[in-house]
Amino acid sequence: MKRFDFVDVTLRDAHQCLWSTRMTTAMMTPILGEIDRAGYAYINILGGAVFDVCVRYLHENPWERVRLLCERLKTPCDALTRGQSLYTFELFPDDIVALNAQLLARLGVKVFTVYDALNDNRNLESSIKAGREAGMEINGWMTYTLSPVHTDAYYVERTKELLALGVDFLCVKDPTGLLTPERGATLFPAVVQAAGKIPVQLHSHCQSGLAPRVYEAAMKSGFRFGYTASEPLANGASLPATEEVNEIACRLGFETSMDREILKTIAGYFRWLCIREEKPCGQVAQYDPALYEHQIPGGMISNLRYQLETMKLAHRLPEILQEVARVRQDLGYPIVVSPFAQYMVTQATLNVVQGERYKTIPDEVRKYAMGYYGRLAARPSDEFLERAKIRPDDMVSERPGEHIEAWIPRLRAELGASAGDGDLLLAAFYDRTLLEPLKQAAPAYRFRTTPLHELVSWLGTRRDIEYAHIRFAGTEMTFSA
Amino acid sequence: MCNHARVAERDLTYEDIVQIVDLIKSASHFSEFRLKVGDIEVSLRRADRTPSAPAAVQRNFEPAATADPARQAPSRAFSDAAHLVRSPMVGTFYGAPAPGEPPFVEVGQSVEPDSIVCIIEVMKLMNSIEAGTRGVVREILVPDGAGVEYGEVLMVIEPGRP
Repeated sequence: MKRFDFVDVTLRDAHQCLWSTRMTTAMMTPILGEIDRAGYAYINILGGAVFDVCVRYLHENPWERVRLLCERLKTPCDALTRGQSLYTFELFPDDIVALNAQLLARLGVKVFTVYDALNDNRNLESSIKAGREAGMEINGWMTYTLSPVHTDAYYVERTKELLALGVDFLCVKDPTGLLTPERGATLFPAVVQAAGKIPVQLHSHCQSGLAPRVYEAAMKSGFRFGYTASEPLANGASLPATEEVNEIACRLGFETSMDREILKTIAGYFRWLCIREEKPCGQVAQYDPALYEHQIPGGMISNLRYQLETMKLAHRLPEILQEVARVRQDLGYPIVVSPFAQYMVTQATLNVVQGERYKTIPDEVRKYAMGYYGRLAARPSDEFLERAKIRPDDMVSERPGEHIEAWIPRLRAELGASAGDGDLLLAAFYDRTLLEPLKQAAPAYRFRTTPLHELVSWLGTRRDIEYAHIRFAGTEMTFSA
Repeated sequence: MCNHARVAERDLTYEDIVQIVDLIKSASHFSEFRLKVGDIEVSLRRADRTPSAPAAVQRNFEPAATADPARQAPSRAFSDAAHLVRSPMVGTFYGAPAPGEPPFVEVGQSVEPDSIVCIIEVMKLMNSIEAGTRGVVREILVPDGAGVEYGEVLMVIEPGRP
């Protein structure tokens, strides 16, 4: 019997999409035991945004979270980085990339997942080499997008490159939910065939509402794994629900390992967490053809609208969205993900507000067009190159990591011999002032909870309640202030 | 065999508490709350004080006012010959390539049309601004790190050779 297996994203991408990545370690620990026993093949615990939000907003040491989750979970943990950019959008030297992989392996990460936002797989070379040497399995992602140049043949080429780099898994990642079952019907078999014995995974978001059908198409084409989230944190900008995709797999006759009862408990916990933390649950998105035109994720549009409001330019949003599509064409069809989505949106805003295209070009956009971040999917338009004053000999052709000098000797000298690898890497990524709050001690974590326990703790946080009495079945409780 | 276990009583579920808490929140303006559903009973009494505003209202925020009244002076007149370097967008003005580094230009310095005179950060991206003319920097009107409006004059350059 054919198998289909699941990779959990509830602790990573699900809250990244629905809660602006604000799930704390303390919110995860009480349900880890259930997640571990639910039947997932892998659990994705880390990605760029999780790392960054831990440091900047939650004031948690991200290495400590990785260590704790890997210790507590018997299911192998998966950590995602943006290749040469790791957790940020700048490029790091090879020595920093290698040290990061070594540290993750030491903390207990078993699967090291890497992708590059330009699909320039040269940006994955040093990560893959270091991850393999550190003993982790390697999972190579390629990012799906819609454009005249991102054809099935383009993805077959990327598949071959990843195979040549020696990946253990391969994944089609669809960050904006642009895949349709129809495109899957041609793309998926082509990728599976090119991948040969290497198992293929699907990681697709639900902005179009079509993702469960796309997962179905992937299973039929021979994909082995799907990334999914617990139902309350699935759908909308997030990924599809484990529950729903598992039912689809079972109906198609695949063998899966998911335990429906445990999934129900996990879903109950997260539905409650949404209420307790006053955060949204995922809502099934309605199909909207406009998504396929501008391709800008919903979260980014609401962010842009807010930025335009503060600049008193909100009324020009429709014009700016149209201009984004033209800028994307001029820039050689970058994938609409961070950081390139921001580049296109900002360039389009400048073009519209100034009433003249490319009168001002942000430095990052110019560097992108010169190939500084990696190879472009297509050549930028002549109009853009001329306005940006980019000449043929300005173009960068070598691997981006090639022109960055090693940092570790300098950082070791600055931080002293006693600094651990984690501290050294944090110092490479962040200003010292941002790292100061990370020194505070982590709270005492609870590793189990019950609905009754949650209700009592919640009532305890309500300063306005001076008396509470709870009775159910054979239990009776009274609290008074 | 003797079985001492009581008849299995059903545990409180997450679905139960989601409903209970939802009801408690909806009744936040009452001082007493009693709920009985099936075998579950919840009674609450609130302290007698002005109820706190509902969470939804607290989350309603106004965009922060960014304009600095001190710099909202009426637009001043510049000589016709002066070349004005203006901000391409609402953004943040930086006079130096990085904190602690010397500024791109100082008053009295000569510049070429393609000399970088400052950076305007727009929506988190850095825009190097060129002088746009050959001449001498006469005035720098904006302090480092200040917010600037669309079209705001950043510098005055007197065209020609020094």
